[in-house]
Amino acid sequence: MLRRTFLKSGIAAGALLAAPALVGRARAADGITLYGVKSMSGGFASYGKFAEMGSQMAVKDYGDLLGAPVSYTTIDTEGNAGKAVRKVQEAIQQNGAKFFNGCTLSSSALAVGKEVNQAGGVFVTPAGADELTGSECNGGTFRWSVPTYGAINETVRPLIAEMPNAKRWYTITPQYVFGEALLENAKAIFAEKGIEHVGNSYHSLQEQEFSGYLTNAMAQSPDVLLLLNFGGQSSNALRQAVNFGLKNQMTILLAWSAGLDQFKELGPDVIEGVYLGAQYWHQVDTPMNRELVEKVRAAHGMNPSYPLAADYIGTKIILDAIKAAGTTDGAAVRKALAGMTYEGPTGTETVRAADHQVIKDYYLLKGKAASAMKDEDDLAGIVSSGRSFPEGDQIVCKMA
Amino acid sequence: MADARSMTPAPAAAATAPAAGPSLLRGITLLTVAAVIVLPLVLPSTTLAAEILIFAMAALACNLLLGYTGLLSFGQGIFFGGGAYVASLLMIHLGAGLFTALVGAMVFGAAVAAVVGALAIRRTGIYFVMLTLAFSQMAYFVAYTLSDWTGGDNGLLDVPRPPVAIAGATLVDLSDPAVYYAFVAVLFVAVFVAARRIIHSPFGSTLVAIRENEGRAAALGYDTRQFKILAFSLSGAITGLAGALYAMLLNFAPLSNIELVMSEHILIMTIIGGTGSLFGSILGAAGIVLLGDLLSAVWPRWMMLLGIVLIGVVIFMRGGLWGGVESLYDTIRARRAHRRTAP
Repeated sequence: MLRRTFLKSGIAAGALLAAPALVGRARAADGITLYGVKSMSGGFASYGKFAEMGSQMAVKDYGDLLGAPVSYTTIDTEGNAGKAVRKVQEAIQQNGAKFFNGCTLSSSALAVGKEVNQAGGVFVTPAGADELTGSECNGGTFRWSVPTYGAINETVRPLIAEMPNAKRWYTITPQYVFGEALLENAKAIFAEKGIEHVGNSYHSLQEQEFSGYLTNAMAQSPDVLLLLNFGGQSSNALRQAVNFGLKNQMTILLAWSAGLDQFKELGPDVIEGVYLGAQYWHQVDTPMNRELVEKVRAAHGMNPSYPLAADYIGTKIILDAIKAAGTTDGAAVRKALAGMTYEGPTGTETVRAADHQVIKDYYLLKGKAASAMKDEDDLAGIVSSGRSFPEGDQIVCKMA
Repeated sequence: MADARSMTPAPAAAATAPAAGPSLLRGITLLTVAAVIVLPLVLPSTTLAAEILIFAMAALACNLLLGYTGLLSFGQGIFFGGGAYVASLLMIHLGAGLFTALVGAMVFGAAVAAVVGALAIRRTGIYFVMLTLAFSQMAYFVAYTLSDWTGGDNGLLDVPRPPVAIAGATLVDLSDPAVYYAFVAVLFVAVFVAARRIIHSPFGSTLVAIRENEGRAAALGYDTRQFKILAFSLSGAITGLAGALYAMLLNFAPLSNIELVMSEHILIMTIIGGTGSLFGSILGAAGIVLLGDLLSAVWPRWMMLLGIVLIGVVIFMRGGLWGGVESLYDTIRARRAHRRTAP
């Protein structure tokens, strides 16, 4: 019995110690390697799965680059910023990795961006933190998603235009940097447009029960309830708001939705009539998006979601930049990427050289009734789209 | 009347006697030195090896509480995350050097642990555990709220890794990952030897006595409260040091360092490695970190496997991985002794 116990311990310990070395050696490869930094396990695995599909498709579609095949390696962040950074460091040190795409969590993206920049590489991310192309910007980090400024301007402004009599707005905000940024941008528009901000409820990042905040909102009788949380929290807040009957009493706007996956999870009963802000929508009618939708349907039998589209284009523009630079030298690829204009899922997109922010559309959608849906993914229609980015002095980034 | 078992030392007790002997630089310490030398050679990178040693240090500190004092603390993340923040802030805002930052993290860890310990040990059993849980949650929200200092959810960025320097003269540049690993390894071995010294001192014996029967230890005249607070402080100081080293490894102090899940992580490493075994802390940390690295690429829900491993260890290997190693050592010695005495 004791011998068996020892053997089990020994085999387990030996295998654990030896296997990473073997895996590491197996990973070493010639040619251009692109590293996908994805949450393949842990709390954000459902997001990471689609992001991974996007990156893999982009690499597969690309074929050869500079006369050699492009290989792709996944780095699993385990939904943990510390793990993400350590594994990226490892890839840089062991394999001389230079090109990275991904990161779901803003904390991971900020720290990974710093590491990649220090190593002279290129990192394209769809993460949400404004600091990525703001106060913490750097030469190696590029961001595809629209910042909070654009998300609010492209949802709140068109809704005010559509509902000029809706003068009373109530906000529910997660109390941390991202939520505060959305709120500040919303307040600026309220002040400019003469909107009465009748109240705001802050909640913590752990909150899942929103009845108290919704009751406070109801007590103020607003015309519009603006939800500034995201992910699971926005789903719960929206679901509970609908259960409370708020949809019949006021207009609801969710400024930063996760797109198709979230809408499918909520269903038409919840999102019908709700206004939804989105970085990407599969029904966008652009040449590149039509092509992407076809490819994804053919390969996976589904429509592309936001993480898939974001990481597809994020990966593709790195490869495009390598092609344009004609070299894998990090500095040359950065130079090629900064200022690059290309056909993206939202139309013609440009990487702004000043802060490495991709200039692209943000969408205001409106949830459809089940009876109006043409297929199971036809959950929302596009109300408006546009581009709003801080310009001139408003650009916080000071590129070194 | 005493039975035969109490009069004759059991083989297991006889086998572990050398390890508990007075020499701190032999036996298990040599094994530890060998392990820290071998780790970077068999692992794919020195950063991975450094992460393992840092978490082994945190697990070792947890072992002082759980394995030797019998205190199941969910507050280890407070000291780990707190140490990371204090060292980082000292370096970023005050331009502190390496040793000032590390000592600052240790002092902070010890002080906070003393406060948490002093309040938590006012209750025992499940209430003690719940108090450490509550402190852990509180610490998380403090770090989350003080985002101007901690970076909040985004984490604290641009944490430097200063060189080993004396009077402004750089002796060793730690920017190279292999050099940083060597630095962490030296500190780990030093902490390991110090922990062994503590365990084999009268103070350590008193901690074990408290673990075994606190009432009896108190009846013998020991102020068990003071001993437990001191154990907490020691554990907090070492965990704070580990947190600081982790921040320097990553050049970044994420909020997750101070989350409850970090405390759970450290506890699981301690239990899987083997409570009451300092070397088990290395096995536990290596096991969990490598399991995550290997399995996460294969199966997104790999944490379920971790649960199964934990259940298996608790049911079948009460002494953890190190317990398995010890058991075989005991068996071999017993069989050899049997062969020698056989006619």
